[in-house]
Amino acid sequence: MTFPILSQGRWLTWVLLFVPCVVGEGRVLGGDIQSFLGKHCLACHDSETRKGQLDLSQGKPDFANPEVFSRWVKVFDKIDRHEMPPPKRPRPNRDEMGEVLSDLKKQLLEADRRIAPVGRKPILRRLTRSEYENTIRDLFDIPGIALQGDLPADGMAYGFDKNADSLDISHVNMAKYIQAADQVLDMVIATRPSPPTVQKRRISLANRGGFVAHVLLNGDGVLLRDKKPDPDFPPAGEQNHLDEGAHERMGTFQTGSSVGLFRHEDESFSPYLIEQVTIYPGNYRLSTSLWSFQWDKGKVLPSRGTESARLSVVQLTGDGRGGQHPSRVLGYYDAPSIHSQLHHEQVWLNANEIIGFNAASLAPAVNYSRKGRAMAFTGPGIACDWVEVEGPIHDQWPPKGHQTLFGDLPLKEFISNGQRKVRPPVRLKTRQLGAGMNRPDPDVGLFTIQSDNPVEDSDRLLGEFLPKAFRRPVAPGIRKGYVEKVKERLAAGDCFETAMRWAYRAALCSPDFLFHFNPDGRLDNYSLACRISYLLWNSVPDQILGDLALNGKLGDPKILHNQVERMLKDVKSQRFVEDFLGQWLKLRQIAATDPDKKLYPEFSSFLQDSMVAETRGYFRELLERNLGAEFLVRSDFVMINNVLAKHYGIPGVTSSKIHRVNLPMDCPRGGFLTQAAILKVTSNGTTTSPVPRGAMVLERFLGQPPEPPPPNITAIEPDVQGSQTIRQQLKKHRSDPACATCHDKIDPPGFALESFDVIGGFRNRYRSIGAGDPPIRGWIDPFLSINFKLGPGVDPSGILPDGRSFDGIKKYQELLAADPKMLLRNMAEQFVVYGVGRPLSFADRPQINSIVSKTMNKGGGIRTVVHEVIQSDLFQNK
Amino acid sequence: MKKNMVQCTFFLVALAVPLAHANPVPIVVNEPAKLKVRILGLFAMERIGDFRLLLDKLKIKILELDFHQAEGILEFDPAKVLSGAKLQEYTSRLDELVRNSSQGTFGLKPPGTTPKNKLKRIEIPVLGLDCKACCLAAYEIVARLDGVEQATASFKEGRITALIDPGRIQLSQLETTLKERGVTLKK
Repeated sequence: MTFPILSQGRWLTWVLLFVPCVVGEGRVLGGDIQSFLGKHCLACHDSETRKGQLDLSQGKPDFANPEVFSRWVKVFDKIDRHEMPPPKRPRPNRDEMGEVLSDLKKQLLEADRRIAPVGRKPILRRLTRSEYENTIRDLFDIPGIALQGDLPADGMAYGFDKNADSLDISHVNMAKYIQAADQVLDMVIATRPSPPTVQKRRISLANRGGFVAHVLLNGDGVLLRDKKPDPDFPPAGEQNHLDEGAHERMGTFQTGSSVGLFRHEDESFSPYLIEQVTIYPGNYRLSTSLWSFQWDKGKVLPSRGTESARLSVVQLTGDGRGGQHPSRVLGYYDAPSIHSQLHHEQVWLNANEIIGFNAASLAPAVNYSRKGRAMAFTGPGIACDWVEVEGPIHDQWPPKGHQTLFGDLPLKEFISNGQRKVRPPVRLKTRQLGAGMNRPDPDVGLFTIQSDNPVEDSDRLLGEFLPKAFRRPVAPGIRKGYVEKVKERLAAGDCFETAMRWAYRAALCSPDFLFHFNPDGRLDNYSLACRISYLLWNSVPDQILGDLALNGKLGDPKILHNQVERMLKDVKSQRFVEDFLGQWLKLRQIAATDPDKKLYPEFSSFLQDSMVAETRGYFRELLERNLGAEFLVRSDFVMINNVLAKHYGIPGVTSSKIHRVNLPMDCPRGGFLTQAAILKVTSNGTTTSPVPRGAMVLERFLGQPPEPPPPNITAIEPDVQGSQTIRQQLKKHRSDPACATCHDKIDPPGFALESFDVIGGFRNRYRSIGAGDPPIRGWIDPFLSINFKLGPGVDPSGILPDGRSFDGIKKYQELLAADPKMLLRNMAEQFVVYGVGRPLSFADRPQINSIVSKTMNKGGGIRTVVHEVIQSDLFQNK
Repeated sequence: MKKNMVQCTFFLVALAVPLAHANPVPIVVNEPAKLKVRILGLFAMERIGDFRLLLDKLKIKILELDFHQAEGILEFDPAKVLSGAKLQEYTSRLDELVRNSSQGTFGLKPPGTTPKNKLKRIEIPVLGLDCKACCLAAYEIVARLDGVEQATASFKEGRITALIDPGRIQLSQLETTLKERGVTLKK
């Protein structure tokens, strides 16, 4: 089979081999530059002193050498940001600076423009795992198929996984793509004449095999009837209940009583509803009825406020028994005091997935090992009246995905007598894991797609499918290659469905599907449609965008603007929010560390999930309201829920849903920097250090990534015994001038963030497991035991390299917000690197500046940056 | 679920084996059939009602029921209730039917063979929750022991009783087993 893209790739190889020979000569620096260097730089950076191992005495640097070029870009930046010459040295005057910067910029631009067109602008880029999954989901209308977990992990370059440099391909990838294609086709192709029967099941949380019944016997929960203890199931007290099996056989848990829990999920307790194990993938209606209460040694009283329960999806593995943990969270749901609240969701469930439950907002109670168990316990509880699962729900049959492959061809019973030499399609037997009480439908026989004119039909169907999958028109020759494959399989004895399956599988594993193709120069409408779509939806263009590309309309700025608006309003843009933030702000690493339980007893999975939801919600708010650059670093509102409000010390928030809350006066929150998620991903779980936090601020918010640490330098280990603060340790480190150069820049933002602990809680003193004073409970749940002490005080002050000082986070935010241009430039750069899939070069800077200027002229909003990036030549060229 | 069913079957078969050997053939057979049986799961007086309800559903009439001996005479139409069963299979087939329909909380066996005057009634004071399923659990702990002909369990009343064959089992063995299985004995 021929793939036109590959011939372009071969061309690229030749160019790459040839280029260094063309640009590999040295450039004589202009007289102004040489004179400036001599006057202000060479005292420290001549061939003998080489401070910072930098020698600027060579008058003819070889800009074709990437190392030399990047060194000179740094020289340019240092002068431009007034970092060099250092403050202690005489300052060059403004004219002198202007001239040298202008000359140097000119030379660097000229050099970079000769390299960049070929060296750093890839023609081909593989789909990332998440792009692949979303593309399949949208192409076949199967919004919940899980594929990316089975594909090899993507690399990361320049902060994002969308960079061609990090997206290699190997035989392992190919084997996984073939496997994934089969998984997709198995799910999409309808094998029965009518949809599976819709089954509806109301399930008690104490369902058989779901863990909860066991804890009810031992006092970590109770059965409740009419909002009182169930008289037929007394709460465990001095004695616990005997034998779970006897209770199940007696139907104790099937009387319709509600289940009240005092204990949240932990390593040894993960409640789930195993009575319903999904057989048929699809959309399901999920409902639940929740409320909360205060338990007082056998009495049900009004609760302390609205509690929150989590519903999740758990993928069964192995034999489907025991130790299953959530594979994805569906959401957190309010459980108001005493009054049951109904919640409804439509969710996609894959085969062998079940629903999991967590009494998320509760502190962990351990009644089972305490004297008197539930009858001696006073504390909060969450009650679940029931959970109901109904489905699969199909709007049409055969489903849309099937029609994408087979159009309106009929599904008929495969009769072997009539087709003696034709092999029937292979069908996988439905395998239900675990102890599900739902059952598969009776076997209806072997049904398959019937075609009276298989070759003509294959040509027609592939003619419709391939352009959708390849995201551009497909030449007749290419289509013919696939049709020939179908013919070949038909001749070999495959039935029509199997033969077509060969072609579809080949298409889903072809470079045309797996790679983005960006031809040289200005992008054509199809490539542009893809670039926008994979930026804003992380997926394939839809019909509207595809039609505009077909008609060549995307070059019209107004049409493009309207499309971007439409796409940002679409729910699919949430994928952009999640994928972009997952990388830009490292939210993907939120669970990389488990906070020390002694030091941070208030940490929970509910808090962690809420942290991520806050940052996503905040970014969404910036986009939707088109808020300005200063909101990146400070704001007068936050996007929080009840658990974050408690964590941040903000009163009056009861809902578990993330929503906008105005900040009280003097609250040290607002903007990304003070969000718990950002503070957690920059900590190690036990302690914080200004170094990684400072580096994150410089790299991700200011666009000034620090130099990597020199080799053989050991990291500073913060002291959790409470005898020495990290600032004291860093002071020693910075006394070495070689270290001070970088740390003067890196540490200050980190110092400002020292007011926040490992999980983003505000602190005046460090927590310690050694020396210190007993803490005041503050906002920590009274049902959590406190085992830490309060150690040395926090000093969040610092001095920026330019001499400006701050006494804490508020002042630091003010200093950052004073330079919206810098913040916008960084934002534009992040969007471009993410959207275009390549690093930015020096030659791209004028275009970035242009995006920033245009954005500032239109009010400086974050949504405007997105528009301006997409309208820019930078985005619309290879 | 299947696994639990298998476990229940195993348990009741284990209980049934010794007595089935002793008296494999039903005592009274007629048209409609009458069968004398030992009733398993009758651990408290209130269970008589549950048992009657269950047998009503299965179209089996209770002609006589002696709670203290846990024995009864049942009447049923074999053609309707035990289609295709042979005479000597009546008890085991009825047992299967009763167990399947009661999630294994009831069962049937041939009547005991130990002469009544050789049996001894013992009582063990216990502490526990007033819960029907806990009583079933305690009853099953005792009833499955070799030498126990009949038992009752009531945590509300705070006692477990058993009709034992002293030649095969002693009170201390019952107490030990109960303690091992988590039942608190009153001191």
